[in-house]
Amino acid sequence: MLSIKNLNSYYGRSHVLQGISLEVPAGKITSILGRNGTGKTTFLKTLMALTDRSTGAVVLDGQDISSAQTHQRARAGIAYVPQGREIIPDFTVRENILMGSFARADRKHVVPELVGELFPYLVENFDRQGGLLSGGQQQQLAIARALATGPKLLLLDEPNEGIQPSIVEEIERAIVRLNRELGMTVILVEQNIAFAREASDHFAMMEKGRIVAQGPIPALTDDLVHRHMTV
Amino acid sequence: MFDVIFIGLSLSSILLLVALGLAITYGAMGVINMAHGEMVMIGAYVAVLSSIWLGANFLLAIPIAFVVTALFGLVIERLVVRRLYGRLLDTLLATWGISILIQQAVRLEFGLTFFGIHIDGLGPGLQNVTVPSYLQGTVSVAGLEFNGYRAFIIGVTLALTALTWFILYRTSAGVQVRAIIRNPKMAAACGIDVKRVNALTFAFGSGLAGVAGVMMSGFKTVFPDMGATMVVDGFMVVVTGGVGSIFGTILSSGLLGEINALVAIGTNDIIARAVVFAVVIGVILFKPNGLFSYKGR
Repeated sequence: MLSIKNLNSYYGRSHVLQGISLEVPAGKITSILGRNGTGKTTFLKTLMALTDRSTGAVVLDGQDISSAQTHQRARAGIAYVPQGREIIPDFTVRENILMGSFARADRKHVVPELVGELFPYLVENFDRQGGLLSGGQQQQLAIARALATGPKLLLLDEPNEGIQPSIVEEIERAIVRLNRELGMTVILVEQNIAFAREASDHFAMMEKGRIVAQGPIPALTDDLVHRHMTV
Repeated sequence: MFDVIFIGLSLSSILLLVALGLAITYGAMGVINMAHGEMVMIGAYVAVLSSIWLGANFLLAIPIAFVVTALFGLVIERLVVRRLYGRLLDTLLATWGISILIQQAVRLEFGLTFFGIHIDGLGPGLQNVTVPSYLQGTVSVAGLEFNGYRAFIIGVTLALTALTWFILYRTSAGVQVRAIIRNPKMAAACGIDVKRVNALTFAFGSGLAGVAGVMMSGFKTVFPDMGATMVVDGFMVVVTGGVGSIFGTILSSGLLGEINALVAIGTNDIIARAVVFAVVIGVILFKPNGLFSYKGR
């Protein structure tokens, strides 16, 4: 699905990602784990070409997107739900979702039916301003916007960070459902080990801009977690 | 009193046409375009040249000026500004250089003066445009006298502002522009081709300034340096209104234009300008983000 070879990424002069190689299998959830500041977010940003500069090969479904710009990667089928959600506060819920549709191949501006199924609250509040929603609802909105791009691959950056527990469960269910029922490939940056273990098929553990361990989720032992994630 | 407010409105209209383009390019792209005033100047010269060489009607000069200055804007964006996104001060210097280049090009008649060739309507001198008779004189409505030409300026501005509003808030292109103003990275991550949209936005803003130039040519003399003060006025409007707020730009151009007119009637133009500057300084001191700044997260 997504094949990454020797990926390096830079902010100005600082060399943040150092030689990342990873195979992301189709139809699976791959969790990226690690402490804060180890480059997990930068990894997702690099996949979207949102850092200053990057080198290395990124191949999506046989299509080499290593030198593609951000909007071309979005149109190639990668959707990004950033940390902090980054919805547009003075756009309505509908406008926020439709923003994603600029990446659709057919350029049709429609809200996918799926959004109504997963997040009924959003559809009931189409004309509210995005900024008036709660943090959890904004997170749902950011996921809905990503779904509106018609993606093959969904990048989720700590989707449950700082969100009220009632909505955390709803979002977790939505992620699992997108994957199990609709076969969507997901790369999930996550701090919550319990959820990562429950939801994902594969993991990659990061430390100082490198991947230090990776494999199927049963290989994520308590020892590994202890060594690379305990503060 | 009423006619003072009316004169103020016509001044505000010109300010608004100049400032709208700046509001969008500064707000959306973080580019300080010092050559924006030269788009006003080029627009005015289009009015001069088209009446001399094409015998064209003043009204026809408006669309011609829009197209010519929009193309100028597109070329400037493609050649220079595009390479400087994210480097605010560099855009200021580079576009200032472009503005000087354009001024001298007009003054030297694109270099033809060196070969002893003179083009009517160009060169260092002052030029005039005659406004067609049906726009001169006064119109009286409900017992009030309106200067026909000033009413025309206000009408054109209303139409163009409505058009800009329509494009921004009712078309797919407008959604893309507004998304870029708020969050360019996320806009790109949603599949919006930020560079292309920016280039077209830049061209549109330049076109509006060109129309402002045609309007100005009807009541002021046209000369190569005329754009320099316009760009300052334009930025004052944008900063007072709040960067990134179209609504703020509209209101602050109204405010500054009216203050200018009201003070100028009581005293003179110089003092009026000083008062406008004082108001702008006051606003920046007490509301650094402008009167109608966008409230971020």
